[in-house]
Amino acid sequence: VKLSFILNGQSRETDIEPGLLLVDVIRELGLTGTKEACGVGVCGLCTVLVDGLPVSSCLYLAACAAGAEVWTVEGLAREEPALIRAFVENEGMQCGICTPGQVMAAAALARERPDASEAEIREQMAGNLCRCTGYQTIAASVRSYLATR
Amino acid sequence: LLPAELDFCAPATLNEALTELAGDDVIAMGGGTSVGLLLKNDLIEPRKIVWLAKIPELREVTAGPAGELVIGATVTLREMACSDVIGREYPALAYAAAQVGNPRVRAVATLGGALAHSDARQDVPPILYALKARVRIAGPASPAAPASRREVPVAGFHTGFMETALAEGELITHVVIPAVHGRRAAYARFTPGSDDDYPTVSAAASITRGEDQRVTSAVLALGGVGPVPLLVPEAARLAGTVPGPREIEAVAGAAEAAADPSGDQRGSARYKKAMAREWTARVLRACLDPGGASLRKRDWLITCEWYDLMPRLVIKHISSRSQP
Repeated sequence: VKLSFILNGQSRETDIEPGLLLVDVIRELGLTGTKEACGVGVCGLCTVLVDGLPVSSCLYLAACAAGAEVWTVEGLAREEPALIRAFVENEGMQCGICTPGQVMAAAALARERPDASEAEIREQMAGNLCRCTGYQTIAASVRSYLATR
Repeated sequence: LLPAELDFCAPATLNEALTELAGDDVIAMGGGTSVGLLLKNDLIEPRKIVWLAKIPELREVTAGPAGELVIGATVTLREMACSDVIGREYPALAYAAAQVGNPRVRAVATLGGALAHSDARQDVPPILYALKARVRIAGPASPAAPASRREVPVAGFHTGFMETALAEGELITHVVIPAVHGRRAAYARFTPGSDDDYPTVSAAASITRGEDQRVTSAVLALGGVGPVPLLVPEAARLAGTVPGPREIEAVAGAAEAAADPSGDQRGSARYKKAMAREWTARVLRACLDPGGASLRKRDWLITCEWYDLMPRLVIKHISSRSQP
C-alpha cells in the first residue's frame, strides 16, 4: 500500500507492506539514526516523534503514520543543533548507542514543556535507558538545553 | 519482522469497523503496544488488523445522564492521565494510567487495549474493578439489525490470561464509570525494580461512607496475583463499620489468603502474597484517610504537577492524535 506522510518536514510517499513497522520504513528510506534495540518499547532507542508525541517506532505500525508528521534524529539534528550540542557539551553520552533516542525524548519534552522542572525532566527521560553514562549528565544536558531556549 | 501478508485498515466509523472485524483471524487494535508485542512474539497471526483510532465516537470522554463518566475505547493512557475531568473526579484512575510503561507507551496505548489485552499485571484494570466500571461492547450487525450493543461489568470481563468476554467480531467501545457521591478510591503499585516495570503486586480500593462515617460500600481489587484481576469480597465486610486497624487487617489477611500468584523475577509467590496483604492495608487506609492525604504523596505530587501543566484533553471530542 502507499504510505504518505511528512518525514522531517518533507512530504514522502512510499510503497510499504501493511505489516511493516515505522522503524523499518524510516531505515529503508536511508535514515539509519533511528535504531531498533530491545524491540519491545522499553529501551527508547527507536524513539521518534509522531505528530509531536514520542513513540517507540519498533512497535508502531508504519501504516498508522499515514498523514502524520514524523520527526527523526536526522531532522532534529538539522533543525535543532543546539539540543545535540547540549548533549556533547554536558557529556550526556559515553558510548552513544542510546543517544538518538535520548535526544528525541528530550525534543518531545522541549516541544511540550520548554520550562520543564527537574522532576519533569527526570519523568520524561526515565523511559530511555542508558547503560554507561549514568543519568546525571543526560538530565544535565536536557536542563542546559532548556535553559538556553 | 511482521507477517508480510498482513492486511491493515483504519475505518472511520464504528459500523465500518464491525464490518471489517467480521471473519476469522482479524484483530482490533487501539495503539498497537500490545498487538505489536504479540505479533512480534508470534503469539497471534492475524491476517488483518483493524485500527480503531480514527473512529471519532471511540475518542470521546463524555458525561452520561446520571453523571457517569464515559471514556471512549481509543482514548490513550496519556490522555487519561492528562484529562482534567478524570484527574479531578477520578484521580486514582488518572494516577493508574500515568503509571503504565513509559511516556512513549502512554502516548499510543489505549484504555480499550489495556482491557482487551487481559494481563492482570497491568495498572488500569484493578482500579476500574474498584470503581465498579462497566464495559460497553459493540457486536456485528445482522441483515435485520444494526450493530448490537451490550454492557457488562468490568469484573468478569476478564476470563483468563489474554482471554476476555468479547465474542467473535465484537469490540470495546467505551468504559463507563458510575458517579458515586462520597466515594474515595486509591490505587497503588509495588515494584522493587524500575518504575516502568510491571508491578509485583498492585492494589485498588474504593470506599463510600455515609455522613456518620460508617462505610456503606467497599471494593478491593488486586493485580498481579493471578491470571485476572482479583476481587476480594471480604472488603464488603467493612460495610456498617467505622474501620480501624483491626477491620483493615482482617481484609488484608483475606487478600493474602485469596491471592494466588506465580513466582517470577518480580518476586516469589509467598512474597507476592505478603505484598498483597501490605498494599491492601495501604490502599484501604488511603481511602479512609479523612484528611485526604494521598497514598504516595511524593510520587502523586510529581505526577500531578507534570500532568496538570500539560495541554488539556478536549472533553467532548478529541481530534485524533494531534491532541493534547
